[in-house]
Amino acid sequence: MTAAVQTREGALILDSHKLSYHTDRVQAWEAGERIAPVGVDMSLTRACGAMCSFCYAMMQESQARSSIKPAIALKLLDDFAAIGVRSVSLVSDGESTLAKAYVPFIQHASRLGIDVGNATNAWELDPEKIEQVLPHLTWVRFTVAAGRPESYARIMYKGPEHTQVFERAMEHIRYAVDLKRRSRLPVTLGIQMVLMPQLRDEILPFAQLGLDLGVDYAVIKHCSDDEQHTLGIDYSQYESMHALLVQAEAMSTEQTKVIVKWDKIKDGEKPSYRRFHGPQFLLQISGSGLVAPSGMFFNARYSKLHIGNFTEERFLDIWKSDRYWRAMRYLASPAFDAQTMMGTLPIQHYVSVALDNHAKGIARIQPGSDPKPLHVNFL
Amino acid sequence: MNESFRDIDTPSPRPGDGWRLLSDRERLVRVQQVIGMAAGLSDAPVLAVAAQADGQVMLKFEVPVAADRRGTVLLDLERELKQSIDPGLNVWLEALGDRNSLRNLRGIEIRK
Repeated sequence: MTAAVQTREGALILDSHKLSYHTDRVQAWEAGERIAPVGVDMSLTRACGAMCSFCYAMMQESQARSSIKPAIALKLLDDFAAIGVRSVSLVSDGESTLAKAYVPFIQHASRLGIDVGNATNAWELDPEKIEQVLPHLTWVRFTVAAGRPESYARIMYKGPEHTQVFERAMEHIRYAVDLKRRSRLPVTLGIQMVLMPQLRDEILPFAQLGLDLGVDYAVIKHCSDDEQHTLGIDYSQYESMHALLVQAEAMSTEQTKVIVKWDKIKDGEKPSYRRFHGPQFLLQISGSGLVAPSGMFFNARYSKLHIGNFTEERFLDIWKSDRYWRAMRYLASPAFDAQTMMGTLPIQHYVSVALDNHAKGIARIQPGSDPKPLHVNFL
Repeated sequence: MNESFRDIDTPSPRPGDGWRLLSDRERLVRVQQVIGMAAGLSDAPVLAVAAQADGQVMLKFEVPVAADRRGTVLLDLERELKQSIDPGLNVWLEALGDRNSLRNLRGIEIRK
């Protein structure tokens, strides 16, 4: 497994997991106890103004959309704090910067001692919002589909002529980089490219853009697909990009690390695990308010794994319910086969591989050593 | 010890010949019969729309069912189908396509 990447601010682990720093939860899980997730990945809305060709949210429509009002979102955080959730990532399923709850949610989480990260296209993350949230965030990962304006606009918006979305994003990212430096904020700023096999020509321009922006890292990751192969990702083609990806990593500088998520790219279509234990540690919540073990199950197709909606009842009650634990037990039972019944490479992939190897006795999860890596509460 | 570890590498059951050798129509009828007998499990009428030889059973709610109920209803129905017909059956609901009009311009089609 790839070691941590050393940055100016500490060890950065993007291509692995951090369960070693949460062995209290691992031990409780091993003892068969009901555990609180270490982290929650969620969105504050299903809405998004982009139309990224790689977007998994296209496959995540549940049955009904609920509006997440700020007061409800803050109560959700109170419930997270009450049960011991350590981090929240505003990622996937929708563009959270569009939600009214965005700023108060991040500020309230910070007050409660819950670490918050955010993945965003930055189009609506204007300087005023950046000033309000950046001091409270542990990391921000900007989705940047390509390093060239025309390519970016083609992949993320209506066509190559719409480069204004690229310019707008770059302006906001540069503002965040500048504010971090001016105010010496402990936030990590990165850009992310979701690599589809046909985007090989975008790899090096993307890495160069990362260096030009002066962000802390530029990461290149695989593209997930569902088990129906809706996006048509051919995982066999990633191998042919190996040399280009190595070349991109070699462009790393003292300021900006170019990182490839090799493990996910190599693991491709079929996971090593049949049982899906990861969601007990890393739960996902839809921008519709739907609580389901993983974003892979947000679509109505997987309604048997839908647990509740936090806009209709308190999350605390959902977490305590038999429904929650029945869904988790189902994923850990022979009734469920992660190799055939879900999409590829879920957010819980690294964690699920580690837990599976732990349970099989292949590689036990050992307590981590100091110093702790960056973002230790984000699995 | 977590009891689920016993099943960490157990293959999921696959449907036997008694199911696989039926026609599509016969499988659908058998599923609908079990659903009919288990009507008390569901808050809303449930319709079987497909029952494939590989054990995938596609259902449809006639009216929307709340998020706090649909998981329980469908897992209960799946348990009934496994016990009454074949342990290799798996229940799914009809998939929904993306409601985002902008993203829909991409032309990605969600297979039902």
